[in-house]
Amino acid sequence: MNPQTLMDGLIAGSMIGLGAVGITLTYSILRFANFAHGDMISWGAYFALAIAGALGAAFSGLLTPIGPFSFGWALPIAALAATVLNGGLALLVDALLFKRLRARNSTVIIMVMASFGAALTLRSLLEFIFTSKPAYYTNALQIALPLGGGIRATPDQMLSLAVSVVIVIAVHLLLSRTAIGRSMRAVSENVQLSGLVGIRVRRVIRIVWVLGAVLAAIAGVFAGVLVQIRPEMGLDLLLPLFAAAILGGIGSVPGAMFGGLIIGVSEALAVGVVGAQWRAAVSFVILIVVLLVRPQGLFGRAE
Amino acid sequence: MTSAIVLATSGLVAGYERDLPIVRGIDFSLHAGELVVILGPNGAGKSTFVKAIAGLVPVHAGTTMLGEIDVTALPADEKIRHGLAFVPQTENVFATLSIKDNLLVAADILPKDLRNRRIAEIYAMFPDLADRTSRRAGQLSGGQRQMLAIARALIVEPSVLILDEPSAGLSPKIVAEVFARLRSINRAGVSIILVEQNVKAALAVADRAVILVEGRLRHEGTAAGLTEDPIIAELYLGARPNRALTP
Amino acid sequence: MNLELISYAAFFLTVALTYAIMCLGLNVQWGQTGVFNVGIAGFVAIGAYVSALLTTPETAGRIGGFGLPIVVGCVAGALVTSGISFLIGALTIRLRSDYLAIATFGVAVAVQLCALNLQGLTGGPFGIGFIPRPFGEFAGNPLLFSLLNFGVLAVLVLVLYFVLERLARSPWGRVLRAIREDEAAAQALGKNAVKFRLQAFALGGGIMGLAGAVQAHFIGFIAPDNYQPILTFQVWAMLIVGGSGNNRGAILGAVLVWAIWAASAALVAAVFPAGEQARAATLQIVLIGVALCAILLLRPRGILGELRVVSRHLLKLPAAGGPTAEPNSKKAPHARNS
Repeated sequence: MNPQTLMDGLIAGSMIGLGAVGITLTYSILRFANFAHGDMISWGAYFALAIAGALGAAFSGLLTPIGPFSFGWALPIAALAATVLNGGLALLVDALLFKRLRARNSTVIIMVMASFGAALTLRSLLEFIFTSKPAYYTNALQIALPLGGGIRATPDQMLSLAVSVVIVIAVHLLLSRTAIGRSMRAVSENVQLSGLVGIRVRRVIRIVWVLGAVLAAIAGVFAGVLVQIRPEMGLDLLLPLFAAAILGGIGSVPGAMFGGLIIGVSEALAVGVVGAQWRAAVSFVILIVVLLVRPQGLFGRAE
Repeated sequence: MTSAIVLATSGLVAGYERDLPIVRGIDFSLHAGELVVILGPNGAGKSTFVKAIAGLVPVHAGTTMLGEIDVTALPADEKIRHGLAFVPQTENVFATLSIKDNLLVAADILPKDLRNRRIAEIYAMFPDLADRTSRRAGQLSGGQRQMLAIARALIVEPSVLILDEPSAGLSPKIVAEVFARLRSINRAGVSIILVEQNVKAALAVADRAVILVEGRLRHEGTAAGLTEDPIIAELYLGARPNRALTP
Repeated sequence: MNLELISYAAFFLTVALTYAIMCLGLNVQWGQTGVFNVGIAGFVAIGAYVSALLTTPETAGRIGGFGLPIVVGCVAGALVTSGISFLIGALTIRLRSDYLAIATFGVAVAVQLCALNLQGLTGGPFGIGFIPRPFGEFAGNPLLFSLLNFGVLAVLVLVLYFVLERLARSPWGRVLRAIREDEAAAQALGKNAVKFRLQAFALGGGIMGLAGAVQAHFIGFIAPDNYQPILTFQVWAMLIVGGSGNNRGAILGAVLVWAIWAASAALVAAVFPAGEQARAATLQIVLIGVALCAILLLRPRGILGELRVVSRHLLKLPAAGGPTAEPNSKKAPHARNS
């Protein structure tokens, strides 16, 4: 295997992994496959685009690229704002739609159908506001720098990889060492018992929505930086995200990142063999194999 | 008993479906320091009754008072904060969490300075658990799990502890340990309600017993009195007269 | 009477009825067996492409030129889709419902991918054109053409309706209902539940393929873009709005939702200037998405009740260990006073 292929795969995979972490959290704690997660990623990217654009227009100095990266300070500031807005968006969608369905004890299938509807609405809204023309945070070109061993990567790519790893570690620590993390794990296992021990389940649910949305926003910004911004970007990621989360084992944060990396590398390898147009098939194949052979994934708990 | 009433239900009607109440109007009271056991044939509604008190089953009518406070409509996560702890029969620990995390999750509702102290006190009370704090609860034996569930409930120093068939699925030796533990907890001042099928073991530790039949409270008496009454025993407790309930 | 209006009405109803066929197929999968198929668009596409390939004239760079009659194409489309549904079902039908949903979603993505990339087979992103239309010789007379097509479709839907109703009342249908009500009991009676559900899944898939084929012949042109997730959403919406798990509801829902769709499209198109039509289309989808989420929230007890009954029984599936089981704690969590 060509080391560069591996590197490309890891970079793409870290983005998928970041999104998959959000999916695995919402899936295990909210207990349904949220088909709207992909579009949360898109919204995060577009929030950042709009804010970065506004900041750049007001203070052109913020557009000057920072160091070796392709973007100026406008983007990190916008990304931060985007995570907040995305969290708000998730809470809004929950309050309008999912919370009410939960209150009526809706089954999993209704929740998934609703998420499908929400996904379509969110995506089309983006397309309406921004049109489907691809957008970019910056026009600055990046040169891939040699890292040794025949591998090259752009500074943007290395940043994305590094940030993804840091975030996954942070989320893992959150889950394992903090009170809110304990509450999340408890709710993920048994909602009724959680209430009995005094956990405020409503609050945990809101926090999970926000955390998922924050992770989605970050994934969206990086996808926008490394590739491009389109209303469909989230939808295109949805199957790889689900495949990664299921491969890693629903509920396992390290598993989701690991799954994402595996998918990223597999896609990179496959593209070399069958061509780039078949990239999306890789996730599908991996998903089916996992569901047939070991549905609990690598690190998930067998039910 | 003349001591204060710590928990009382008045005309409690409850059930999963509105038109099919399983609990059909129960007046019940628990005095401070008492250990009361709820007995009755299968399907009598014993579990449903305590679950309704705990907030797991919808209450259609009547009230539950915890001391002076009306807790009827409070959700479970509020009731525990008022000092009402419930240990369900099944799924009463978080199997995927360690012993330590199981206790921490319960302690998280306490103020920070109190948290570590209570955990230490609980470990002192349950040395078996202290020996293996990082073991996942799912890997514990049935008896250890029950102890963990009780330990967890005690973290918040509840005034009332309710247990739903704590002896279920446990060997006689372990049942004896669990019940001995409950007695000592009770002696330390925690008022306890027990739902039990294991009549013999329950009456041995209880002060008082009530018998539920078809959702209503049919009979009440001291544990000693019921133990000696063969007709009650046969009618409600499924024992034949000559197999007396000698403890 | 305004002939143009009749012509338009016939055209509108014809399209609505092609959707009705898809709904009937979905009803077999969902209403009869509770399979949650989120990849409807894929199944429809398979039927459409098979029929198109068999009936179109020779085209450079692509397999074709069989020039078979339309009926043959449609039947073949249904059969091939049915076969592929059977295969997919064999792999996935034991999965719990949300994993099944993800898997079927993946199937639709995979089908679209194949349609896009296997240019030699499917014509790639350009799709397949010159698909023969029934009564094509009357194309010059819009009124006659649209009425004839409507007639064919109406007959087709009626036949399908009656066949499916008979099937539902047949021993086969009764077994399916028994499985839906209580799988443990059905299995105790010696009925292999999986086998029956698989058959229903394949049948439903075949019907969806038939719908795709019929639609392809009516429109005369297909491309991968026609089979996006939004099609899946439309069909589900139709079944929810009209269907209470029964076939009449499927047909009515299709017509009703298609009417709403067409009306909103016309409304939005009227409001927006000519250059902004693409954007107008997206707004229409936004409105539809919102409206249908609202329906999920506010549905009258009846439709909700039916769906609940099916789902509740699914939740009772025996816990055979492993991911196929759905323990009751797996419902979406809610705290009181949420």
